[in-house]
Amino acid sequence: MTTAYPTPTPAPEGHHAEGHESHNLTGFIIFLCSESVIFLAFFSGYALLKTSALDWLPPGVDGLEWQMPLINSIVLVSSSGTIYLAERAMAKGSLWGFRAFWLLTMALGAYFLYGQAVEWSSLKFGFTSGTFGGTFYLLTGFHGLHVATGVFLMTLMLIKSFIPGNYKGGEQGVQATSLFWHFVDVIWIILFLLIYVWQRS
Amino acid sequence: MTPSQAQGPRFSPLSVVALAAWVALLVVLSVWMGQQAYRWLPVQASTAAPLVDGLFSFETAVGTFVFGGVVSVMAWVLLMHRADKYDESDAEPIEGNTRLEVIWTAIPLVLVMAIAVYAMRVNTTLGMLGPMEHIHLRSPVEDAGGYPGDRLPAEQVEVIARQWSWEFRYPGADVAATELHLAVNQPVTFRLVSDDVLHGIYIPAFRVKQDVIPGRAIDFNLTPTREGRYRLRDSQFSGTWFAANQADVVVESAADHQAWLQAAARQPLQSGISDASREFAQRGQSTKAGWATVPPAPPPQVNVPGSNTLPHDG
Amino acid sequence: MTLATFPASEPKPSWTRYFTFNTDAKVIGIQYIVLAFFFFLVGGLLAMIIRGELITPEADLVDRTVYNGIYTMHGTVMLFLFVFPVLNGLNNLLIPTMIGAPDMAFPRLNAVAFWLVPIFGVLLMSSFFVPGGPAYSGWWSYPPVSIQNPLGHLVSGQGLWLTAVALSGVSSIMGAVNFVTTIIRMRAPGMGWFRMPVFCWTALAAQSLQLIGLPSLTGGAIMLLMDLVAGTSFYDPAGGGDPVLYQHFFWFYSHPAVYVIILPVFGIFSELFPVYSRKPLFGYVYVAVASFIIVGLGLVVWVHHMFPSGVPEWMRNLFMFTTMLIAVPTGVKVFAWLGTLWRGKIRLTTPMLFCLGGLFNFVFAGVTGIMLATVPIDIHVSNTYFVVGHFHYVIYGAAVLGIFAAIYHWFPKFTGRMPYEGLGKVHFLLTFVGANLNFLPMHPLGLMGMPRRVSSYDPEFTFWNVIASLGAFLLGVSVIPFLLNMVSSWVRGPRATHNPWNAIGLEWLLPSPPAEDNFGEHVPVVLSRPYGYGSGEPLVEHQAEIEAALIQAEQLESAR
Ligand code: HEA
Ligand code: HEA
Ligand code: CUA
Ligand SMILES: [Cu+2]
Repeated sequence: MTTAYPTPTPAPEGHHAEGHESHNLTGFIIFLCSESVIFLAFFSGYALLKTSALDWLPPGVDGLEWQMPLINSIVLVSSSGTIYLAERAMAKGSLWGFRAFWLLTMALGAYFLYGQAVEWSSLKFGFTSGTFGGTFYLLTGFHGLHVATGVFLMTLMLIKSFIPGNYKGGEQGVQATSLFWHFVDVIWIILFLLIYVWQRS
Repeated sequence: MTPSQAQGPRFSPLSVVALAAWVALLVVLSVWMGQQAYRWLPVQASTAAPLVDGLFSFETAVGTFVFGGVVSVMAWVLLMHRADKYDESDAEPIEGNTRLEVIWTAIPLVLVMAIAVYAMRVNTTLGMLGPMEHIHLRSPVEDAGGYPGDRLPAEQVEVIARQWSWEFRYPGADVAATELHLAVNQPVTFRLVSDDVLHGIYIPAFRVKQDVIPGRAIDFNLTPTREGRYRLRDSQFSGTWFAANQADVVVESAADHQAWLQAAARQPLQSGISDASREFAQRGQSTKAGWATVPPAPPPQVNVPGSNTLPHDG
Repeated sequence: MTLATFPASEPKPSWTRYFTFNTDAKVIGIQYIVLAFFFFLVGGLLAMIIRGELITPEADLVDRTVYNGIYTMHGTVMLFLFVFPVLNGLNNLLIPTMIGAPDMAFPRLNAVAFWLVPIFGVLLMSSFFVPGGPAYSGWWSYPPVSIQNPLGHLVSGQGLWLTAVALSGVSSIMGAVNFVTTIIRMRAPGMGWFRMPVFCWTALAAQSLQLIGLPSLTGGAIMLLMDLVAGTSFYDPAGGGDPVLYQHFFWFYSHPAVYVIILPVFGIFSELFPVYSRKPLFGYVYVAVASFIIVGLGLVVWVHHMFPSGVPEWMRNLFMFTTMLIAVPTGVKVFAWLGTLWRGKIRLTTPMLFCLGGLFNFVFAGVTGIMLATVPIDIHVSNTYFVVGHFHYVIYGAAVLGIFAAIYHWFPKFTGRMPYEGLGKVHFLLTFVGANLNFLPMHPLGLMGMPRRVSSYDPEFTFWNVIASLGAFLLGVSVIPFLLNMVSSWVRGPRATHNPWNAIGLEWLLPSPPAEDNFGEHVPVVLSRPYGYGSGEPLVEHQAEIEAALIQAEQLESAR
């Protein structure tokens, strides 16, 4: 045995072919953990400002209407289910099933954004209406940005699914997007509880 | 591989004695440094000062011991364990020693916990003396039932911090000044307010400091214990003339203080001290303009401007 | 049975690659380090102006507004454009080579993260030239001062500052995701967690802190930017906001940030003391694990920067306790280094001198840190020069000295040239003496009550300020031998062998400089813990053959 550099197992071929793919998912999960801290910061800022405020609501505003946001929440939560079904379909090898559920998820996401826009335009306060207005638009806006990003990512994945042979044996991009979507969903639930349910101080 | 067990350096009786002597020397040095520590601090002019200084002295001693110990080992190693010039060999591979790890985890733990407990007790005492209290705008101390009965009725002084001047108002005597006058050995309650930015009230001789936060009124107590003239400095960066935002504190006997208040009340209102306004006016004429600044607030209108250039103690 | 050939005959890559979007971690590492030292000079020049102003009590050298801008930019440049980038540079050089990976997990993300640095560097520097001058509210940028915006323009120094800091956060997050993923997933076969070099442990710990802490700063900075340019009032009491909220966001990150700086330096100490004492690291497992105890504690001490800010008594006491606890895991490391030195065969090379000097300064700074953690003492010295003294002792005295040690130690590996010992020792002497002369006098100043961030001061503070300024100018001189050494040895220093310090570690089993993909496909199998000095056990499988091949290649090279 005089090999200077013995070849390690696993073979470099295999390591690189799937190795990097799984790095992607690891990296993405790490990123999401970090991302959640920024929401945590905004949430705790909201709670702190609210509990210590003298006049929380701007003059002329007496609380938020919650029925439409509730419908919106149901839409977003169910889209977590449809994206799961899409992944399941992909795992079973049904590319069309995947595309159908994926598209449905995108539609639900888009509807959520639409609902959000409608709500914003009906509100009587703006971004600069005290700390309430500021934090409200900051939180919903920052979350909405994430929903929009999610829909954009899904569009990309959908397009990629038409490249022949691309999705053989599962696709990390789909997994990552789905993970992101669940994340956005969970954030919304906390946000909904914090802003719409917890209205009395 | 089997970690080679540390041999546990076998000390000869002589080296044990030498080590003990060295540790004793370090202890003596530490105690001495602890005593020196008082000299690095300004004069003690409030009830808080001796407590803070005692704590600082104690930590200086502990710190000297820790630092001295580490440096002794480094010095010893540098003197005794240097590799010979052409010695390329390795030393004896000692990988670790669990007992030592336990010891040197436990000792600092005990030391810092001792410091923390001591400090907490000082905190509690200081809290009873008053200097570290803060109250939100909406629940002033009077609404909460006033001060506990065991405290002397404190003189009330309203402290207004501005960009960049200090104003002291004595509501009882209807006096305003840009120099702070206090009666010795008499508790005083400051109400700290700011309408612009963060400031900090800092009187080194009193060892007290408290941020002044716009949007809140902070009540803050202290008791001066030594007559003299001291400095009050802004301690939270407040913009261009932050450095010049200083005032004098005069601690005088109760009789002198009453006399000062009465004399002051008879004075007409005039512009108080504001170095910033003066420099800002000069700056307007100079060609050497710097970068942008917000203009200073106009000097407060006070009965007594006082001085902030007289020599001060400590 | 192929004998791997080393790329001794590979064409020498052109130096221009350092100016391109290169994805090789070793190129990126050097890009980071060189750029960081450029900004070190900028930050140092600003420090020289600070010390020039403070050599006399009056505000005479520069206008007060200029002083405020300069100290703010000094702190910002030193932290965001010098220390963090230089440490990321070391991470790039050392992590892949130490764990036997061919590159980082995401090479392109890595390059993007790097190129953001010159971008926000230029952005920050440009703030010197906008009307009104750069940000002037300190590197904390506490509102409401920071949102006063005297000229009222949309583009202000403060706005550029906030944008630059936010971009720096984005770049650091990209870097952190990359470093963490690389360490978790790309270690050489056989390199379990407790066979990983301590530098990688500390880098992992530090980068985890970045991931948890930075978003809080970014969030806080976004809200501050909104207050500044969009008219919101998150922190503006005039509109119901709370300035203290910002302080929590800021310190929730910026306290951990100091451990992001010092942890890799602990890693450097842990790597270098064994090499130059010829002994294994004492208590390797404890030293490695202590890094994560520091991470845990480091996340729950931030209020010690806010003791006089109006936080309730119970919070002050609680955070005093947590802060003091940090002395325990840190002590474990300090004592482990002493245990490593003990009965070693000490070699006083340049890197070793910097490590010893750094340790000396660090313990001193740790002691003053414990004093600051003590609430009643901190009430007196907070926002005085005592704090400035404390943190320059850690940041300059320990961290920067540690970084110099690392540079001298790994210089041969990544440039293929030896640095000059004589110049290195002169550099050390000037740095060590200058730093102590500069930063020790700040402690008596603080105890006497001299506030920080002042452009003028009372005459009783003159004496110590003059000494400090002289020390600072000595530090200014100290960069001359350093720069001379770096430039001349890189250009025409003696050729370095693969292992000039006779050190143990995967990176020393690579040629100097290593090939682009390091071990490529021939990653050796790790057999034992690092730092096996004196044990005679091999670190990797086929170690003897690998070394023989390296020596053979070097002989071939020099014969040519
Ligand atoms: C690399 C940077 C670094 C490091 C490692 C540290 C380490 C520590 N720092 Fe420091 N600190 C800063 C950088 C750093 N700091 C900066 C930049 C600021 C100011 C920022 C600004 O305001 O602009 C600051 C400010 C600062 C403050 C706020 C002061 C104020 O503004 O009022 C406090 C208060 O608690 C503090 C405490 C500590 C403590 C307890 C440690 C501990 O981690 C130290 C632990 C180490 C030891 C204790 C020594 C080794 C241990 C032993 C040998 C065991 C035995 C020891 C004992 C029993 C004591 N620091
Ligand atoms: C990594 C961090 C770091 C480093 C290395 C340094 C290095 C130095 N710092 Fe500091 N400093 C900070 C981080 C750092 N600093 C921070 C965070 C603050 C707080 C800011 C705030 O309050 O907001 C601060 C604040 C600060 C102050 C307080 C200002 C005030 O409160 O008013 C002072 C005062 O003396 C000071 C001095 C110095 C000196 C003399 C050095 C020396 O070590 C520098 C040595 C310099 C060199 C070795 C380079 C010399 C260069 C030349 C001679 C010119 C050549 C130049 C070109 C060709 C372009 N620094
Ligand atoms: Cu390729 Cu990991
Ligand atoms: Cu801290």
